[in-house]
Amino acid sequence: MRQPWKLKEVVLASLFGVVFGIVYLVAIHFGNIWAGLIGPIAYEWMFGIWFIVSILAMAIIRKPGAAVLPETLAAIIEVMLGNAVGPRLILSGMIQGLGAEAAFAATRYRHFNLAVMMLAGAGAAVFSFVYGYFVSGYAALDPSFVLLMFTLRVLSGAIIAGIGGKYLADGLLATGALRGYAISRTKQGGASA
Amino acid sequence: MRRLLHDMNPSVKFIIVTVSMLTMAFFFNPWTPLLFWIGILALQVTMSRINWKLWALMMLPFTLGAIGYLWTTLVFGADTGGEVIGSFAGIEVTDQQWAHAWSLTFRVMAFSTLSLLFAFTTNPVTFVMSLMQQLKVPPKIAYGTMVGYQFLPVLKDELTQIRQAQRLRGISRDRHWWQRVAGTRRLLIPMLAGAVRKAERAAFAMEARGFTGERRAEFYKPIEVSGRDYVLGGVFLIVLTVSCVGGIWLGGS
Repeated sequence: MRQPWKLKEVVLASLFGVVFGIVYLVAIHFGNIWAGLIGPIAYEWMFGIWFIVSILAMAIIRKPGAAVLPETLAAIIEVMLGNAVGPRLILSGMIQGLGAEAAFAATRYRHFNLAVMMLAGAGAAVFSFVYGYFVSGYAALDPSFVLLMFTLRVLSGAIIAGIGGKYLADGLLATGALRGYAISRTKQGGASA
Repeated sequence: MRRLLHDMNPSVKFIIVTVSMLTMAFFFNPWTPLLFWIGILALQVTMSRINWKLWALMMLPFTLGAIGYLWTTLVFGADTGGEVIGSFAGIEVTDQQWAHAWSLTFRVMAFSTLSLLFAFTTNPVTFVMSLMQQLKVPPKIAYGTMVGYQFLPVLKDELTQIRQAQRLRGISRDRHWWQRVAGTRRLLIPMLAGAVRKAERAAFAMEARGFTGERRAEFYKPIEVSGRDYVLGGVFLIVLTVSCVGGIWLGGS
């Protein structure tokens, strides 16, 4: 199971990081405007956007670490672009990636169907929420409100990141650009099973 | 003096900033983040040369976010007891909630200021090179990241091209935000497909020029940790400690 990473896979992860880094930057500005109006809960429903890159890259590369590394690279690149969230983003990127990775590791990197991807999205949501609970001080909030935030985030992770990631992976596979990656080598052909 | 933060070793700065933020997470009194925020601002004013107009512009969205935190914590704050000090529109606010709300608000402000301090005084390329040389990030990952970073302008141009090509073929411009959200896939798939092809080409070119991804002991541009970095790190830690102790002392809890 331990194949070393090829350079082209690392570079692919990094370029995906750039593409999603741009998407994330747009999303966070959108979120900040909302956050002024309705508080930190504004980010929760759109949190899944931040996890897509892990799931998409894992669907394509299918190696241990294919969820953590791209999410971390995306975070580093966002910091390099001068993201105002700053260096702590690298840490949260790693933690989100680990959450998604946990779901794929639990299935021993054998299944890459929609259910596992949604599970990975939810996993990333759980990990990032635990971290956020600590860093953003959710402990000061009412438990039922925290529960609402948590539910929204997990749903967003499963739906936006899980379904969205699968949708993008299938679309990308159809373009034929992915020859030479694990996603094209499976007999089933698709990102399924 | 005005170049100190710009010349600080990026890895040391990165560790200090991360440690400061994780430490702040343990404090729920309003004074600690407030003191820390003031300290960070003072460091930035005295030890860096930045465009303050741009800084203010970048701070604006975070200030909005901080206001959101303030009222969310006031309205949805955990019931931790304490005296009721006032009520507004039927919501009673205890002194505990009041303190927590300001604490979280100042925490957001302190975090944003610290992040901007890092962003405004760190050269991205030096940062990644320093991650590789000081924190032993594997060269494959470090240079892979650099490739992505250098491709950013290319990808931006490509986004414009894809948009223009689609408009030439008769796709109308999205007017509303929901149309834009729905149209993301139309832009993302070609962008990602282009990224895949570029990644393959770049990786091949690097390997063709002898890049193996092995760790090395010598670098073309060595980045070092000097005594100055320890001193600056110490200054940050003093600010952190003073605000922690000062916050407990002023907050009386």
